[in-house]
Amino acid sequence: MNCCEFREKYSDYVDGLLTSGEHSEARGHLASCAACRRFDAALRTGLDALRALPSLGVSHGFGARLRRRLRGEFAVRGPVVARWSSAVGTLLLVAAVGYIKWDLRESREMRRAQTARSSAAWNPQPHPAPLPAYLASQTPVIRARFEPFHPMHSILVVEQSPPLAMGGPPRLDLPAVWGGP
Amino acid sequence: MTLAVRDGVRILGHAPSTPFAGLEDSQVVQAFLEGHERAFDELVSRYQTRLLNFIYRTVGDRERAEDLVQEVFIRIYRHLHRFDQTKKFSTWAYTIASNLAKNELRNRSRNPLVLFQTIKRHWEADHRPLQFEDSSSRPDDMFHKRHLRELVEQSVSQLPEHHRVVFVLRELEGKTYEEIAEITGCNLGTVKSRLNRARNNFAAIIAPQLD
Repeated sequence: MNCCEFREKYSDYVDGLLTSGEHSEARGHLASCAACRRFDAALRTGLDALRALPSLGVSHGFGARLRRRLRGEFAVRGPVVARWSSAVGTLLLVAAVGYIKWDLRESREMRRAQTARSSAAWNPQPHPAPLPAYLASQTPVIRARFEPFHPMHSILVVEQSPPLAMGGPPRLDLPAVWGGP
Repeated sequence: MTLAVRDGVRILGHAPSTPFAGLEDSQVVQAFLEGHERAFDELVSRYQTRLLNFIYRTVGDRERAEDLVQEVFIRIYRHLHRFDQTKKFSTWAYTIASNLAKNELRNRSRNPLVLFQTIKRHWEADHRPLQFEDSSSRPDDMFHKRHLRELVEQSVSQLPEHHRVVFVLRELEGKTYEEIAEITGCNLGTVKSRLNRARNNFAAIIAPQLD
């Protein structure tokens, strides 16, 4: 074993990871090579001195400072799990409020549309032409009028006289607001 | 609590023991996850000194090392619920510490001149032949004669960062090759190669001073 090979295997030699044959070779080289012997001695002396250095301790108040930092961090933001939960919860709440508002608006729009359709259904056009005389006497009449029901509302009363019979279409007698006479 | 003052260094005693003092790390972690806050105090008590010494030997600045140790524990507290309890807690803690120390050194080296010198030193340390020259006749124009303690401290600080981390983990923290590989994120071959280089460089630095 030459010096280069010894240097390559030196760590394994120090850590006892060489095979018995390699270990013997390394020891033999050490016995015969002054430079490698000096190298080995320098490393071992240095390591002994390094391990003998006093161990540093944390300064006074280290624990208190750490607890303060942990309290500060997790009082404001909370542990990671809680932060994520509250973020998700907030998003869900915002989404729910948004959905409810949208739903209310849609309902209002639908009710307005329904009311408008109802109004249109009860706003038929007057008969386009006067009825022939022989039909006029036989034509049933449907009358509609508003009657008060509530200070804010009226009901629509529809009367039919005489009852519908086979024949022509009924004549509509509607309030003026709906196009009647 | 100060036990003694030796060579200007305060030797601090351990914190009063917690109810979890006799448990394994994994049991203490489990106790904390079950809601026992004092279990975290036990983890701090067990690892604060070890991590401080490891980070200090890596970054070379005692005050900054203590800040980084606090940061290690904050990250542990924040992420302990995600820690894989089949792994060793010690390895995980040292991995966090190693990453923070490397970041600290990286941030310091952002000065372009410092960066160039660092790259140059790393390249030379990795590519210098592993022959040990007998320097007894070489003039000692690099170092003054120093007390052995300051000498070895400086020798460690002069190692390239990627050698220094491995060297400190092996020689001072007693970690196995496999643990060092996991902590540093390198494979076993790289760990062995870096450790070998670190030992050679360390010996080459201090040997002239020991004559």
